[in-house]
Amino acid sequence: MSSNNPKQSIHDSTAPSTDTRDSRIGEGPDDRFNSKLREAFGSSPFILTKFDKFMNWVRGNSMFMLQFGIACCSIEMIHTYAIKHDIDRYGAGVPRASPRQADVMIVPGTIVSKFGPRMKRVYDQMPEPKFVVGMGSCTISGGPFQEGYNVVKGAEEIIPIDIHVPGCPPRPEALIYGVLKLQERIQNGESSPVVVKPYELEQFGDLERDELVQKLADDIDEDDLVMRYNWADSP
Amino acid sequence: MSTGLERQRQPPVEVTEEELAAVIGDRALARDDHLNAPGFVVRPDDVQDVLSDLKEQAGFDHLSCLTAQQYEDRYESIYHLKKYADPTQEVSVVVPTSIDDPVSQSAEPVFRTADWHEREAFDLVGIDYEGHPDPRRILLPETWQGHPLSLDYDQEKPQIVTLTEHANPIQPDHHKDESDTMFLNVGPHHPATHGVLHVKTVLDGETIVDVDPDIGYLHRCEEQMCQQGTYRHQIMPYPDRWDYVSAGLLNEWAYARTAEDLADIEVPEYAQIIRTMSAELCRIASHMLALGTFCLDVYGDFTAIFQYAFRDREVVQDILEDLTGQRLMFNYFRLGGVAWDLPEPRDEFIEKTRDFLDELPAKVDEYNDLVTSNEIFQVRTIDTGILEPEVAKDYGCTGPVARGSGIDYDLRRDDPYGYYDELDWDVITMDGCDNYSRVLVRMQEVEESAKIIEQCLDLLEDWPEDEREIQANVPRTLKPDADTEIYRAVEGAKGELGIYIRSDGTDKPARFKIRSPCFHNLSALEEMVQDEYIPDLIASLGSLDIVLGEVDR
Amino acid sequence: MVGSVTTLPLQADDTVLLPERIGDLTGLDAYGVGGELLAAFIAAFIVGNLMLAMTGVAGPWAKRKITAAFTDRIAVTHLGPAGLLIIVADAVRLLSKEIIIPENADRPAYDLAPIVVASSALLGFAVIPMGSGIHLADPEVGLAFVFAVAGIASIGLVMAGYASANKYSMLGGLRAVAQNVAYEIPLVVTGMSVVIFAGSLQMSTIVEAQAQTLVSIGGIDIPAWYALVNPFAFVLFLVANFAEVGRNPFDTPEAPTEIVAGYQTEYSSVYFVLIYLGEFLHIFLGGALIATIFLGGPAGPGPAELGIVWFLIKIWGIFLLTQWLRSAVPRVRIDQLIEIGWKGLLVLSFANLILTAVIVGLIA
Repeated sequence: MSSNNPKQSIHDSTAPSTDTRDSRIGEGPDDRFNSKLREAFGSSPFILTKFDKFMNWVRGNSMFMLQFGIACCSIEMIHTYAIKHDIDRYGAGVPRASPRQADVMIVPGTIVSKFGPRMKRVYDQMPEPKFVVGMGSCTISGGPFQEGYNVVKGAEEIIPIDIHVPGCPPRPEALIYGVLKLQERIQNGESSPVVVKPYELEQFGDLERDELVQKLADDIDEDDLVMRYNWADSP
Repeated sequence: MSTGLERQRQPPVEVTEEELAAVIGDRALARDDHLNAPGFVVRPDDVQDVLSDLKEQAGFDHLSCLTAQQYEDRYESIYHLKKYADPTQEVSVVVPTSIDDPVSQSAEPVFRTADWHEREAFDLVGIDYEGHPDPRRILLPETWQGHPLSLDYDQEKPQIVTLTEHANPIQPDHHKDESDTMFLNVGPHHPATHGVLHVKTVLDGETIVDVDPDIGYLHRCEEQMCQQGTYRHQIMPYPDRWDYVSAGLLNEWAYARTAEDLADIEVPEYAQIIRTMSAELCRIASHMLALGTFCLDVYGDFTAIFQYAFRDREVVQDILEDLTGQRLMFNYFRLGGVAWDLPEPRDEFIEKTRDFLDELPAKVDEYNDLVTSNEIFQVRTIDTGILEPEVAKDYGCTGPVARGSGIDYDLRRDDPYGYYDELDWDVITMDGCDNYSRVLVRMQEVEESAKIIEQCLDLLEDWPEDEREIQANVPRTLKPDADTEIYRAVEGAKGELGIYIRSDGTDKPARFKIRSPCFHNLSALEEMVQDEYIPDLIASLGSLDIVLGEVDR
Repeated sequence: MVGSVTTLPLQADDTVLLPERIGDLTGLDAYGVGGELLAAFIAAFIVGNLMLAMTGVAGPWAKRKITAAFTDRIAVTHLGPAGLLIIVADAVRLLSKEIIIPENADRPAYDLAPIVVASSALLGFAVIPMGSGIHLADPEVGLAFVFAVAGIASIGLVMAGYASANKYSMLGGLRAVAQNVAYEIPLVVTGMSVVIFAGSLQMSTIVEAQAQTLVSIGGIDIPAWYALVNPFAFVLFLVANFAEVGRNPFDTPEAPTEIVAGYQTEYSSVYFVLIYLGEFLHIFLGGALIATIFLGGPAGPGPAELGIVWFLIKIWGIFLLTQWLRSAVPRVRIDQLIEIGWKGLLVLSFANLILTAVIVGLIA
């Protein structure tokens, strides 16, 4: 059913990934970490670099997690919050149920086509600066379910991910390590590139008029939000 | 050793195959026997008649599963019927439909649970059910093209998934425009849905008028995965991921039991004891989580009970890790036995497990102090989320949910497998039918499981050194005879976990269907929360203890 | 009327309020009304910041540490001594987040709600005598003033719930108002029973009245704190207060796991900080109120200069109690909550009021 060869378009050109990255973060360097002050001043005076450093320290040491369970990994994620492992020791153990108050989203499980748009929506609802930890093999590649007709091959198809924690599921220790690595990166002011072209939420009316869109035209309103899902096209 | 397996009431009179044939009469076109049960082929428009006769006259009151599949020349729906009073009495009703016009009569008027099953059969295989009250897709998005488990499905085709805003579904029912109801989406991302469940709720103030669970947000194509794997090794890792709440070994046992019966493999007694012990450890871990998350729902926030439940789970997971090498996804059972013997030094492992069992009563007392004897907790849970036994049976509820409604049904005793019938333990039932009973049933089942483990440890400790056989002789490649069909179930953490396998003579199953207890239990939610308050909806959802991985598969 | 009140020796620093003292020390009172205003402003600034600092410690750090202690965990350790620097990190990070305003939000109301919630609680501290001379104002209607300004918070919650254009917020806002209406009355009525004892609404008078000796056991004077004089009223007030500040078992307006985060679901960044501050300030205001009218205010062993220390200990004691309940007690359902409020607490509080009036009348 599946092909072991990567798709031609990905193989030959890196345009899909760079295009998406450019459209996501705009021209030039990633400004997710830079303060408005720096934008206003346009240069890097001493005080502002110190300020940026301070802000990175702040963001890297204090994070509210989104209370978000998907699949198997969420059990280990709860164990990470709970008594023995207690990730709150590192200032990262306050789960907030509302995405508006969360900084870090741990994606703990398999994403399927039906959930994809919803996860995108939740991610979009989080305020900047936001970070994502992909937990488990499913968020890397679809894991053991990659062959499934309904499975998104990795959460990165939908949202950008800063840290991948491999495992099926990763042990709580591994997740803590992943979160600590994320904290370290934030403190160093590093951010992760987007490596694949993610699925985007679009209005149905904006989609390219191909055969499938024509067929569904009667069922879906023009301004309904939709996401294309293409199992075969994923790398 | 006395056995706890005597039922309090007499099992109903055994219905012989001849009597069954007489009940069905001329409506049976042919026989299509399965390994587990006699099968009768009936015409698509006789379904309701035959099923209701079997239910009324022969006492088959449990529609355990509905399997839909496509052959080269026909579609087929198989209704697996059982009796709550005696699940060893089984019958299969096979309904073939033509390839061009796959329309079959709906069984929904006879068994309420057929509603969701037939929606799933339509969704994944593509059979239409005439007279079905709600013929929608259930697992895949509404806009999905094709039926993925049908033979001509092309996975490479692109799909479009919508993110629609939902209309108020009961508005048309109101003759007045100024309807006071409000539509509320609970989930798919909501702190109380235990994963990614979407409950479309209609509220009148805080009172629930209508709920419609929308599932499929974790439909990971488990059946497809199993159909692509070889019997011997490739399927076993997947059951761990159905009910992922540490119930892995219980799920693995469902597959092991089905495949062993299919290929006629005898499991050594010693391996059966290890299986029994480890499976009960899983049950404890799973029920601890159920308790913890239920308290999360009733208390709000990650409170003490929740944390304590996880502290105790951590101990169980440690023991299981010693035994299987993994914390959550064990992959420990093999067809014909288990992967390896108890860890060395054996005494240390047994000691560790015993320590856990010794501490357990004190912990259970602590839970009783903190939770079940708390008056506010009682006010919150007693007489909420009522599930009457008749309704529960109609929806095919099993496991602690059924036992909390007074249905004395436990496959470990009623359809014995493993080593359960040699051990002394009891089946817990409660008559409260409410959220409180379901919590109590789980807490007492933890104690019963501890009893079972205790006895298994004694046996394992004293087992003769040279008879510690953990694995039967199983051929390297397993190829059951073509067209053998079997449906077998075990008592998972959430209830009756069944698997249907049809072999086609190759080393991979031609059809692999999972009967998920959570799927049935969740379908009863609608009956439980009618006219209750939002907090009760959340609590009822928690007391059902659903795992979305198993609901959606 | 309890006639003996006026015969009590007045403590020296109770008569001098903080603004006057500041005016004295800095010489500002020489500049007339302007100077007094400035002195009052400085005093308010000091008290406000004291309370905000306390909330700052409580919210990101103490709450976590306390909850962790109840659940066998450690919580923040790696940032500074005992993780104390998390206060800086959390505060700055929350303030620096992006503010998201929902598309359909009702703008002025949406922006005002967090300010109303936070400031209403802060206002209440103005009339609380905190000991060691920290007392901003001592109007004759002190107690009524506290109830009045604390009640404003419910308006803030309704505004937040309604203006967010989110159904969960709406439910939370409605719950908040239903709850506050149901519990404000028992709260005030129970408070009135104290007023009958003290014969005054003035906070300083209520505190002084509690300085009397109730009984002497073995040479130790047990003060006439109203919690000891009328434990029934104390318990009633405590329960009503938990509902008033929306903490377990009465945290229905926020109800995580039920309605996501209730009225604050849509708030992010600064607004969220304000609401969060408001919640904690309310807990502390509730604690301050309980301490003042039931636990003798700043009274305690040792010199009077230690008053503020005792006062803070009492407030934190109440705060600890709320956190304990949060960890251990289930949440009641909204209909049960209303039932407890209207059918239970209201009746009991009136019974308490009448009983107190009769007893006080008989003694007098």
